[in-house]
Amino acid sequence: MKWHPATRVLAAGLVLLGTLPANLPASSHREAPITALDQKADITDWYAFVSPEKPDHVILIMNVDPFLEPSGGPNYFPFDPGILYEMKIDNDRDGKDDVTFQFRFKSEIRAPGVFTGFVGNLLGIPPITALDGPGSEGLNLRQSYTITMLTKGGGINDLTGGKTLYAMPTNVGPRTMPTYDVLKNQAQYSLKNDIRVFAGTVADPFFIDLGAAFDSLNFRQAAGGGVLDLGTDLDDFNSIAPNSLAGYNVNTIVMEVPITLLTKDAKIHTAAEADAVIGSYATTSRLRTQVLRTPAGSTPSTDTSYAQVQRLGNPLINELIIGTGSKDAFSIDVPSNDSQFASFFLDPLLAKIFASIGIPVPPAPRTDLLPLVTYAAPICPGCKASDAGPIADLLRLNTGIPPSAFPKHLGFLAGDTAGFPNGRRPVDDVVDIAARAVGGVFADSRLYGTRIGDGVNSPATRVPQTFPFLSNAYSGRDSVHQGPGQPGCNRNLTKICATQ
Amino acid sequence: MNSRTSILSLVLLMTPALFGQAADSAEPQLSPAERSIAKAQDMIAKQPGYVPYWNGLAMAYARRARETSDVAFYGKAEEAIATSLKLSPNDFEAQKAKTWVLLGRHEFAAAREVATQLNMRTPDDVTVYGYLADANAELGNYKEAVNAVQKMLDLRVGNIPGLTRAAYLRELHGDLTGSLDLMQTAYDAAPFNETEDRAWLLTQMSHLQFLMGDLKQSEMYATGALGLFPNYHYALAALARVREAQHRYDDEVALLQQRYNDAPHAENLFSLGEALLHAGKTEEAQKAFARFEKESLGESGIGDNSNRELIAYYVDIAHNAKKALELADRELAIRHDVYTLDAHAWALFANGQNAQALEEIHKATAIGVKDPTVLAHAAAIEARMTTASATTPAKR
Repeated sequence: MKWHPATRVLAAGLVLLGTLPANLPASSHREAPITALDQKADITDWYAFVSPEKPDHVILIMNVDPFLEPSGGPNYFPFDPGILYEMKIDNDRDGKDDVTFQFRFKSEIRAPGVFTGFVGNLLGIPPITALDGPGSEGLNLRQSYTITMLTKGGGINDLTGGKTLYAMPTNVGPRTMPTYDVLKNQAQYSLKNDIRVFAGTVADPFFIDLGAAFDSLNFRQAAGGGVLDLGTDLDDFNSIAPNSLAGYNVNTIVMEVPITLLTKDAKIHTAAEADAVIGSYATTSRLRTQVLRTPAGSTPSTDTSYAQVQRLGNPLINELIIGTGSKDAFSIDVPSNDSQFASFFLDPLLAKIFASIGIPVPPAPRTDLLPLVTYAAPICPGCKASDAGPIADLLRLNTGIPPSAFPKHLGFLAGDTAGFPNGRRPVDDVVDIAARAVGGVFADSRLYGTRIGDGVNSPATRVPQTFPFLSNAYSGRDSVHQGPGQPGCNRNLTKICATQ
Repeated sequence: MNSRTSILSLVLLMTPALFGQAADSAEPQLSPAERSIAKAQDMIAKQPGYVPYWNGLAMAYARRARETSDVAFYGKAEEAIATSLKLSPNDFEAQKAKTWVLLGRHEFAAAREVATQLNMRTPDDVTVYGYLADANAELGNYKEAVNAVQKMLDLRVGNIPGLTRAAYLRELHGDLTGSLDLMQTAYDAAPFNETEDRAWLLTQMSHLQFLMGDLKQSEMYATGALGLFPNYHYALAALARVREAQHRYDDEVALLQQRYNDAPHAENLFSLGEALLHAGKTEEAQKAFARFEKESLGESGIGDNSNRELIAYYVDIAHNAKKALELADRELAIRHDVYTLDAHAWALFANGQNAQALEEIHKATAIGVKDPTVLAHAAAIEARMTTASATTPAKR
């Protein structure tokens, strides 16, 4: 990222915005100034859950690069080869990385003379029906990637195993990609160690009324102004407020990993055992410029170490808790150092805002929030006080809790213990759950159980219950974003532009 | 790199051009800082109670101080900051501007203190790390300076103020090619319309090429800087240095005379005097030195002074060793950077305090600096000590 006056003004503007309570439940779509300026490195969401398909596996999903307009060609949304994407697991409750999966992408331009990234059924080029070989001729811009697994103690394991893994291109439209499902299947790879992986562009599963949240929590009247009625609250499928992410794509990396590859002793544990619980987070990093080279005069100027741009563990912490003036410092640090940010969540600003609008909240210090940043019950019922570990923003998952047959959008709060904050699934309504956590629901649900919510209860598309657990990218050809003040096709009786 | 080009230039590089966007349409003959000043004044006239406009004016004045080398602009910057702080006593940007002017005034310890407080208040602010780096570098706390700049580059990969500071620290640590790499990266990233910033970067590259002995490249960069920002006083000095090395002394004199005409400051008279000596114009040189001594002494007691040039003058030209050491002691109380340590060592040496001089010059060279003047001083002191250990101590 280049630092010039324009970006400084932009950064200043973002800092100002960030001081408003509006910077609250935004998942992680551009939450900190540093990532707002580096969209490719912006981790929008991080998910970890026990697979409903294979309950002895965990699904890890890292979404990056938010608000991808499906029609936003011509080169669409490649991963950034300059970024190191990582998924990290703590399995011994010290807040430090024990297992790390690294992803590195490479781009190839296969037909430099072609004007667009993807083309098919045109100029004699066949439709794109394959990621490689016949049927892939129109994949002008193609990305492949490698996966490396690091384990504590220095173990490095290339999981790619000689295969070439291709990233799934976005869904340009039916003329170019008439069999998009087939392509998506091709982009799912089974690797050694019983791992499956998928990387590419998908429909963003996150859901929120972002416009209302950013307008200083000006939630819709239909959504009770931010406090939901019981009927709305219990509805796992229908929303009564607009989902700002609907119709946007996002880039994802999905892994299916055996639980035994993640736990400390390579065993599957019951929910009551402390070793069943893992902590996880995702990071993006860029090559680091070292101020001093060692030895002086060595080349290249930038060495092979990386500077972390962002991390994301719990969707709660950076978005709702960390002050804007410290969000970048938080983003580039490691979870085991998070005690430095303890003051933010022992007395969160958001709780004060709730109190100011008449929502009862527990008094500070908010020790009821500690179970979200340490290893403790209810996520880790087997953890003793000595197992808590340091304060660390990790998405904690009890791998001994089986997946739910009928997931509830309110997850743990609705008695669905397989849901957030025990890990996180795409259907978990983290906005409502996190807001209620700050409201004090974990301290005492009777005293502090206000049904805070934005009225958006589910992803815009039905999330599949099979790998990779994310919906196809929206078609660029067949998607239209209709903004306010944009009347659409006035000659049509419906005033709505036809997509067909 | 003299005192003014080292720290102040780094501090002032890429100062927030708060009004830079709108300034594009301003009259072309105005410099970037002048455009910012005009714009800020215009905005203040419309909305005098809005603190960011006053902060913008302060930063624009301080930037103008770099463009012109006229320290009076710092006074104007301070007035604008005072207005900001009166309107909003805890204003973060006003406190930042204050830190930055403290650096400009060479009040390094105070600047470091304010910057430390600001850093605790908002750990994400990259500029504050820059101020911490600048203050620590001048105080000789190079490890802290490196850490602060590393933080800048980690927080914002490739940011220009971070790159230029890293380049400066690499230079101080003797990594000239590494320094050049980063200056080039910064230049490539600099906005096209920021002509003064780009000229400054080219001047730094000229300086680094000179240190590496490539006069052709050094000349090319200096000339390029002058093409971008005509009569740029730093670039005139850089080109003059090349001319000196090429034994084109009349050209050297002409460039430094022009520099002094555009930036009439004491330290610029000193280099002019030296150039006149090179050209064999002894009488004119004496006049320049006499004027330099008078003007330099006049500003000697204030933070932003030309004491290092004055020390060199007393040691090498006027042979007033006692006065040189007195000044060097005073300067050492303010900062402990490589060049101040070198000046102090040289003054000690001139006073026959050879052992202390050796100790001090070793402190100066400890981080690996390759500045020819510092290295020449070190060689002279070491040679004397070697001779002295073989014979009896000799007074210089």
